[in-house]
Amino acid sequence: MKRFHIRMGDGSATELSESELKRDLEEGTRDAAERAKIPPLSQNELAYLFDVYSSPARFVGVDRGNEVIFSYDNGSAKSREDITEIPLHRVQEAQVYEKFLGADIADFGHIDYSFKPVKSIVTFEQQALEYALLVTTVPMFYGSQPNLGSYTQPDGPCPNPMELLPQGKIAEARAAQEEMMEHAVKDMVYVVSAMYESGADGFNFDTAGAAGDADFLATLRAVEILRKKYPQMAMMVGIAGEFILGMHGELTYDGVRVAGLYPHKQLELVEKAGATIFGPAINTNTDKSGAWNVARAVTFVKPCVENSHIPVHANMGMGLSGIPMADCPPVDAVSRASKAMVEITRLDGL
Amino acid sequence: MDKEEILKEARKAIIDADKAKAEELAKRAIAEGVDPLEMINKGFRAGITEVGDLFGRGELFLPELILSAEAMKGAADILTAALPKGTKKRRGKIVIGTAQGDIHDIGKSMVVSFLQANGLEVYDLGRDIETQKFIDKAQEVNADIIGMSALLTTTMSGQKALIQELKKAGLREKYKVMVGGAPATQRWADRIGADAYGIDAADAAKKAMELLGEG
Ligand code: B12
Repeated sequence: MKRFHIRMGDGSATELSESELKRDLEEGTRDAAERAKIPPLSQNELAYLFDVYSSPARFVGVDRGNEVIFSYDNGSAKSREDITEIPLHRVQEAQVYEKFLGADIADFGHIDYSFKPVKSIVTFEQQALEYALLVTTVPMFYGSQPNLGSYTQPDGPCPNPMELLPQGKIAEARAAQEEMMEHAVKDMVYVVSAMYESGADGFNFDTAGAAGDADFLATLRAVEILRKKYPQMAMMVGIAGEFILGMHGELTYDGVRVAGLYPHKQLELVEKAGATIFGPAINTNTDKSGAWNVARAVTFVKPCVENSHIPVHANMGMGLSGIPMADCPPVDAVSRASKAMVEITRLDGL
Repeated sequence: MDKEEILKEARKAIIDADKAKAEELAKRAIAEGVDPLEMINKGFRAGITEVGDLFGRGELFLPELILSAEAMKGAADILTAALPKGTKKRRGKIVIGTAQGDIHDIGKSMVVSFLQANGLEVYDLGRDIETQKFIDKAQEVNADIIGMSALLTTTMSGQKALIQELKKAGLREKYKVMVGGAPATQRWADRIGADAYGIDAADAAKKAMELLGEG
């Protein structure tokens, strides 16, 4: 019987029979549909995914005419942070992204990559960004993570909800998160204003919601303030995971409870707050095959694209949206996930 | 109430995070001669597993999960105290933390709550913890299990290092090692020779109980 080479979510290789592959695709889309209460992929779409996954090609690409925009996150720290460990200066790295990797939007940021540490060195960042802008042509976003966790003790002023909650101190944990939000909104508005005024072409709020619903809500509030302040500014909001973790549980934005929102609902709030690009991020399950993970990720992203009035750029980083969680995600898996995401959802960018 | 009904009510009390009700049911089970272990495993643990699943789907949030875990802890304490003499063991002890270089602690903290809910004595070291500290703490408190969480492919090597260090110190047989976190899999656990892998918090608690011979 014919068997197909497929990657698992951790990048290891396995072989699936035709029926196993079809089963994984069906189960993946069903899982997403049930969780987010959205339609599963159609039989045609599943057949298309089957073709992508059963192809013997080492790597695949989108058909001519289906090309999309490439934007990046944490772009200026990846060469040093990840497995490559090439000690490039971040300005050179931005150039590499533009000139070698075909970035349509480059991303510049500090290695600490969170608003709080950047706040105190923002003038240095302005200078560095200015230099990067002078040697590149593509639009350059400055990026940072809201990272509400950085406001907790011992790194910050607020008690740590992740310590309070297991002790059953729920009211205290909620109060701490509300306080963290205030600090975070202030820092976001301050840093974004400074970087925008020194020439950034836009801003990337990366991994919004990493510390849960408070993290996501703080980002929305900051975006809303900044939209009023700078009506023309481009703002990309990239999300932390497939649904907003409820660490607080009771926070709302415009009357909508934030905790538990799936991508197509996250999108509505991100749009309402005034962002110009939405970046959904779907968790990769390391125990399941790439086919299962990608069918699932595509199912989550499709209704975002259908309902959105702003561009959607899916987050296809390692461990997200069907990309294996591995130091160096294999190209067969990355290219299949990307092709499937683009050609099924018809989104605007990756 | 017959046994099936008590078990069903127990499950519901945990899902509703109703601590008073859970404790009352624990007492009633003892009075009516229901096996305490069965009451924990088939009643209360069925509830907390469902709570974990609802959390994993974004339908229930951390504060509610914590309240459910507390309700379960209250009931489990009453039931363990009622275990017949001889079968009554001391509580299992686990030392847990996030691998060195890794500050992800959301999942690990959930695992802590679930372990506590199952009546384990948990020593939570926190995040970004040196491998040696896991061993030192385990020695200090005479633990049964060491658990390590890792959310990065670059820090999961800490889990392997833990096992190597235990071997070097001649302590590998003394402790069970349990690993978890998004990049970890059963394949990884087998490869590094860990005793158990947990896919989520409910599974972590289940595996811990199995390691303690109480599954
Ligand atoms: C939240 C988050 C953060 C927060 C962490 C806040 C905190 N206090 O934990 C912040 C913003 C600080 C952060 C920082 C970074 N992160 Co991060 N982060 C995430 C994110 C969005 C979610 C992780 C999470 O909390 N999941 C929810 C919990 C409930 O699930 P869980 O942790 O898997 O835990 C469950 C199970 O695994 C299991 N379990 C967990 N531990 C244990 C232990 C045992 C013993 C057992 C049995 C079971 C078990 O039970 C848990 C409950 O069900 C993921 C992306 C994603 N969507 O998955 C990236 C992700 C993990 N981060 C990543 C990276 C790269 C980083 C950074 C290096 C920079 C960056 N690009 O963001 C830094 C690293 C800092 C450091 N040194 O650790 C990558 C990892 C890729 C890789 N190859 O390893 C991911 C996949 C995102 C990405 N592609 O960029 N991050």
